[in-house]
Amino acid sequence: MTALDPDVAQAAIEHCYDQGWSDGLPLVPASRPLVDRFLATTDRRPEEVIGRLAQVGREVTVELAAINAAMAGCRPEYFPVVLAAWDALVRERATGGGGWQSTSGPAPLIIVNGPVRDELGFNKAGGVFGPGFRANATVPRALGLIVRNALGIHPHVFEQATQGLPGRWSICVAENEEESPWEPLSVEAGVPAGTSAVSATLLRTSEFVDNRHTSDAEQLLADFADTISRTGAWIFRHASAGVVFCPEHAQLLAGAGFDRATVRAWLAERCGRTVGDLADVGKDGMGDNGVRHASGSRPDGFDVLLADGEPGHLLIAVAGARNAGISMVVRLFSDWSATAVPVETKEP
Amino acid sequence: MICSDAFVATADAMAALRGAPGYRYLTTPHPVAILTPDQVRERAAGLAGAVAELLTA
Repeated sequence: MTALDPDVAQAAIEHCYDQGWSDGLPLVPASRPLVDRFLATTDRRPEEVIGRLAQVGREVTVELAAINAAMAGCRPEYFPVVLAAWDALVRERATGGGGWQSTSGPAPLIIVNGPVRDELGFNKAGGVFGPGFRANATVPRALGLIVRNALGIHPHVFEQATQGLPGRWSICVAENEEESPWEPLSVEAGVPAGTSAVSATLLRTSEFVDNRHTSDAEQLLADFADTISRTGAWIFRHASAGVVFCPEHAQLLAGAGFDRATVRAWLAERCGRTVGDLADVGKDGMGDNGVRHASGSRPDGFDVLLADGEPGHLLIAVAGARNAGISMVVRLFSDWSATAVPVETKEP
Repeated sequence: MICSDAFVATADAMAALRGAPGYRYLTTPHPVAILTPDQVRERAAGLAGAVAELLTA
């Protein structure tokens, strides 16, 4: 190995900035040998097209994904997870349309299950939505760089986010399967137990529910229902959401006999607002196109927020430390495909 | 084509990407989504002449 030369590294980093490749933070210069190490982790051909955006006429190949994963700071062995996360996002209806360009500037939520979590050092416990772990930080960053550099979606041009949101390209959590009372999310989504897999969807934001106040499962769920039912997040006839429960909340619910399906059913029945509440904010009217508007002419009643209790409209996962009753409600941009993509590594 | 004036940068970029740099289109002040039907009619009436001019230029 040659001596480390910070000045050469600095020049290469600045070169990446000059090319317009950066998301604002320094990039790892992607040399040919480095990219080849990424490509060596998968059986997929470098030229395989793994995504396209018709309106801008751009495509993503495995090699372009590898280059951007390298620049994002991934280790080569993360690359199969990047590919699975990308494939999971491609399954989302919005990402093939206007999702990447939306005025809402949605952020991917990446959830990792299976042995790869520990093999690659994904954080599943304390601070799981925060910084500090290379795998959690660089995998979603790679996705953002793919959108920027392969699809050509740049802020202020084709990316039209009004304000965007904190966490875009940085929300990647491993599920805390060891402290979850329920089966892994990937298993619910149809992937065999013990298989590493990635689930993904787009978020408008995330917001905490801090409840260290009750041991009653229905009181706890009512606190989530209140947050989920916030009118500001409600645009169309229905909205979709998710909850990333902390282990304490999940275990309390499981102890009272709730599994994922019954949590969803309970929330699907109770999340919503009265027509009067919705009229107060100009969202009581229902047009033919499904977009809410100010009406003021509906009789009072109760509009449920979730279309139903299916996983695609209410994603439930478990992550974080078991040191407090603090969970996260996530706001889905659209709905979730309710599928997970297995992480495929190269055949030996 | 009529575009809200908040999206001019995107519209110009899309025109250039699709091989039509400088493509002419009309704009209307943002926002549009909260207008009442009468306000939309007012906007349309205000633009009708420009639409005819653009289409026949």
